[in-house]
Amino acid sequence: MIREIVKPTLTLAAIAFISSLLLSYVQKYTEPAIERQKREKLAEALRLVLPGFTVGEAHKVPIEGSEFTFWIGDRRSGQAVEKGYAFITGSPGYGGDVESMVGVDEKGKILGLSILDQSESPGLGARCVEVANRETLWDCLLKKIPFRDHCEEKRIPWFQIQFKWLDATRKIRVEKRGVWNPDMRPRLLEDNAISALTGATITTDAVVRSVERGTARLNKALAMRLPDREGGAR
Amino acid sequence: MNYWKEFAKGIWKRNPQLIVGLGFCPTLAISTSISNAFWMTVGVTFVLMGSNILVSLIRRIAPSHLRIPIYITIIAAFVTIVDLSLKAYQPAVYKSLGIFIPLIVVNCIILGRAEEFAQRNPILPSLLDGAGMGIGFGLTLFVLSFFREILGSNKLFGFTLIPGMEPAAVMILAPGAFFTLAFMLWGMNAVNSRKRNR
Amino acid sequence: MEIKVFLAILLSTILINNYVLSRILGICPFLGVSKKLDSALGMGLAVIFVMTLTSFITHPIYKYVLVGYRITYLTIIVFILVIAAVVQLVEMVIRKISPVLHQSLGIFLPLITTNCAVLGVVLLNISSGFAKPNVSMGLLKSVVQGFGGGAGFTLALLIMAGIRERLEIADVPENLKGVPITFITAGLLALAFYGFSGMKI
Repeated sequence: MIREIVKPTLTLAAIAFISSLLLSYVQKYTEPAIERQKREKLAEALRLVLPGFTVGEAHKVPIEGSEFTFWIGDRRSGQAVEKGYAFITGSPGYGGDVESMVGVDEKGKILGLSILDQSESPGLGARCVEVANRETLWDCLLKKIPFRDHCEEKRIPWFQIQFKWLDATRKIRVEKRGVWNPDMRPRLLEDNAISALTGATITTDAVVRSVERGTARLNKALAMRLPDREGGAR
Repeated sequence: MNYWKEFAKGIWKRNPQLIVGLGFCPTLAISTSISNAFWMTVGVTFVLMGSNILVSLIRRIAPSHLRIPIYITIIAAFVTIVDLSLKAYQPAVYKSLGIFIPLIVVNCIILGRAEEFAQRNPILPSLLDGAGMGIGFGLTLFVLSFFREILGSNKLFGFTLIPGMEPAAVMILAPGAFFTLAFMLWGMNAVNSRKRNR
Repeated sequence: MEIKVFLAILLSTILINNYVLSRILGICPFLGVSKKLDSALGMGLAVIFVMTLTSFITHPIYKYVLVGYRITYLTIIVFILVIAAVVQLVEMVIRKISPVLHQSLGIFLPLITTNCAVLGVVLLNISSGFAKPNVSMGLLKSVVQGFGGGAGFTLALLIMAGIRERLEIADVPENLKGVPITFITAGLLALAFYGFSGMKI
């Protein structure tokens, strides 16, 4: 009777053990690649939101109970050196937090926004990372562009590019303008507004909210740093 | 043992979704784009072949009444390999497939083939059976994704088709999944009944 | 104030992001058991129980063991084995309490192990961030989400069973009988539930 229970249990335990061992090897093998992906993603986002800046290391400070990550960068423009700040912020959207990285200059003007992570509805909220692809399949085939080259290479999603040059110190308004058109930009900039994603107000509001919250936290974090050592590249 | 038959039966005659009726969860959820369909097929076929081989290997020494947990452990191990590999080398695909990668573990097809075939057949036929079933699974997935990607996001392989046209987003969401599969099954039934009536 | 959070979780898992009709999980049992109302109810209750219990068990396992010892790559194996064990337990309990129910559920009871929705909900608990270090009441949130997932699944199952009982006596075209008409019904249900996505919590 005992043998009926012990032998199968031992077999199961043995298989579980061997599997775990095998998987730990796979994990060790893939871990560097996974870490590299994470680092590259952050570096890419930093390049996008603070174009032309030399950015220092990440600073992490606890603010209001959660960790706030931000970077300080410098850029030479003529004789002067201007400072830029980038931070990671998030706000609950439809299917979890929508996480973005935002770059602002010293006066609070947004230099760029890059959505890092989202789990919004495909076809609706998820279009916040969609690139306005003007080139069609036929163009690609006819121009004989190799598929590798991907006509969508490094273009910024239209939803995210709207945030550029907006004033983060003022309220960012959300307007419903339907299908996106680059000609809408001048009017929207005047009103410090963005055009919402069609059928995805929750996602749109989440991103706007996260920008406002992040800017407030950045101000707190910077206030906490003075009057100690000046920030910047190490 | 007709090796070609073991392989080919999974593709049409005993196609997992259309004939046997297994594996609907990932089929409905993942068929939103051809890219998703492709990578899911790769993952499922890899796990299917791997688990079939191993189950066949241990079929004589595995104790009978604990066999399900043992098979599940083996399948889970292979799925974890797929999960880690995609996370490391194809992060965009990993993000797109989401929780359906770990959910390959509970894909009825894999456990079903292990129970029904791999545990009573030698290694090579089991491997072929796994490959065939995986490809058959992928075939259905491809056909569904073809329609849903075009109608639901106005794209094919990620390239926009008709510039300026707003696609019917419902095709990418749950209702579209159900309708597309229903129409496909309806069409198949119609074809089959016409064949019978000849 | 805290009640609002849990109400939000319940609403979103039962109506807005219904596991069957919105996330497309748990389709196999959804098709298989929804033919009669009473077996649908029995299955639904069993699933609620399994989901709640597994959410309760897997949360501390993930937070303290898997993350603590940095072996998160074993998540899939550990979770599915926990689910298998819980389902085995539930099956034994049901067999003792109500042999009739056990008979009518038949093969579908052990099949709860392979129900995508059960593994789905425990994985979603993790990806919703309930197991992150700074989150307050993460365990309770996970359990509530597990319960909500089961409740949503049961709701969809009951509605479907009610409709299918009527479909049995309706005049369905030959080629649509069985799975196709069920899927079309499910699609219409999913469309109806999609209306909930505009809800503001």
